[in-house]
Amino acid sequence: MRIASLRQAVSTALLAFGLSASAAHAQVKEIRMLESGGPSGDSIEEAYIMPFTQKSGIKVTRESPTSLGKLQAMVQSKNITSTLVELGATNVVQARALGLLEPLDWTAINPAPMYPEAKLPDAFGYQYFSTIMAWPKGAKRPISWADFWNVKDFPGKRALPDYPSYTLPLALLADGVKPENLYPMDVERAFASLRKIKDHVAVWWKAGAQAPQLLEDKEVAYAAAWSGRIVGNGKLEYSYNQGLLMPSYFVVPKGADPKAKAAAMALLREMSQAQNQAVAARIIPYTGASPGLEKFIPTERLDDYPTSSKNKKVQALADPVWTADNTKLIEKKWQEFKLGL
Amino acid sequence: MWLVAPLLLVMMVAFNLPIVTMLAQSVISASGPTLAHFSEVVNGSVHLKVLANTFAIAGATAVLCVALGYPLAYWIRKLDTRHRAIALAMVVVPFWISILVRTYAWIVLLGNAGIVNRSLLGLGWIGAPVSFLYNELGVLIGTVNVLLPFLVLPLYAAMIKIDDRLLRAAETLGAGPWTVFWRIFFPLSVPALAAGAVLVFILTLGFFITPAVLGGGRVPMIANMLDLLINQMPSWELASAISTLLLAVTLLLFVFYLRLTQAEESA
Repeated sequence: MRIASLRQAVSTALLAFGLSASAAHAQVKEIRMLESGGPSGDSIEEAYIMPFTQKSGIKVTRESPTSLGKLQAMVQSKNITSTLVELGATNVVQARALGLLEPLDWTAINPAPMYPEAKLPDAFGYQYFSTIMAWPKGAKRPISWADFWNVKDFPGKRALPDYPSYTLPLALLADGVKPENLYPMDVERAFASLRKIKDHVAVWWKAGAQAPQLLEDKEVAYAAAWSGRIVGNGKLEYSYNQGLLMPSYFVVPKGADPKAKAAAMALLREMSQAQNQAVAARIIPYTGASPGLEKFIPTERLDDYPTSSKNKKVQALADPVWTADNTKLIEKKWQEFKLGL
Repeated sequence: MWLVAPLLLVMMVAFNLPIVTMLAQSVISASGPTLAHFSEVVNGSVHLKVLANTFAIAGATAVLCVALGYPLAYWIRKLDTRHRAIALAMVVVPFWISILVRTYAWIVLLGNAGIVNRSLLGLGWIGAPVSFLYNELGVLIGTVNVLLPFLVLPLYAAMIKIDDRLLRAAETLGAGPWTVFWRIFFPLSVPALAAGAVLVFILTLGFFITPAVLGGGRVPMIANMLDLLINQMPSWELASAISTLLLAVTLLLFVFYLRLTQAEESA
């Protein structure tokens, strides 16, 4: 009696499993994304995922944090756990070289107008952010990176990113290089410029939240920080002048399920709409790749955003291709520089 | 004996196999087996300097833990039962707090606007805030704070096994308190002390959070370098070569540790 019902139970279970497996193939109920988390993740949830889920009924599950290492592990183990992965511009170039990306279906995405650097064959630029100068309210205001480097007239400790792809261009700008001539980078000149300020750098920060915290705690007098962490912080002041502008991208890992990938294209379409980007910009002051964004942002807040026409003009656009091609070189020299070799 | 086999198999597949696969990456390249990655590590000054730095900090942590932990264990041994329980609880309670929270707590305490600096400034003892953080001192404070119980608890366990009658016998034979300590008590506690110091050294080698948070990017330890090589570059072959070297060194130290604890047990 018990054996018979056990066999029945097992066969029913197998049948149900078989049914649900085929049901999963028939219709995508959920897609997963790997992103940076924090307020950036919240902005994606409210601005892009909510309209997408309303229109398509597909749930989106977010995971964080993201990294190139995780993408490589996914693709190499052929176990794609996230259909969309957020990557910085340099990591996109590296991922492409390693063969980790699926080409995007731009006809399916059918986006609203976007800046050209955001529309790559295998990556969707969804968020622009800048690396800018910041200081506590009331401190003496630096105009350029040369001022930032000038410890005599602007005394106090500094904090710079522990990422050479961000800090080396700033060092070159401080040394007088024009934004259009930043790339290909004169690496020796950049390190020579950094050596002038090295003794005054108290912290080489790794996490975006460190820079504003260090400024608020009075650990440092001036810091280079990611704009989204500084704008809207009442205790700090900042300047977009000579900021380093970079987009962040979403990519699809090679070998992702084609149905999930097709569903994700509709989500990317939501990310290209200017009204959605305006919603995201309320949660975190990063803007999307839409040139038409200014219509949706109140004029008094325009100065807060990296891609407003006034701000885009004075900034330098980072070159991810050069940076990716030279990653091993600059990382090695960066570690040697920090060790004082 | 055979009952262990399934569990052993699970362990080997779930635990050993992934590690071996990862370490195997250090000798493999696109054109077959090679020692090129190891030579890159040994010839490149950066990686060796970071390894040397890591060993230096691990050594300093072990020495500091011994200097602080031995008197602490000795003092706890001399307490009566009730106070002993309280003291041991105070040593153990920090284990219940996440290491991340403990590390960040040091920033609140030791930062330029932290409690220590504000008190010292308020008392007039210093003119400008002292830099406790974002240098090697900060990292050492963090590592010693986390690893001190690892030394104190085994050392205390060994110390209470030392028979009081030995000490009293020495006293009746005319030895002064210093001689009793130095010639009877201390030699009996040395195996446990050495074993604890080696344990602290090994554990410090793998520290990631503490140098990342309290070092401010200025104190590179090997775990931070591996994070860079695996997540940012990515350079998994190089990371794997460094990991293999580190594993070899740690295994050597561990053998040393086992010999010491066996010596202690036979003593």
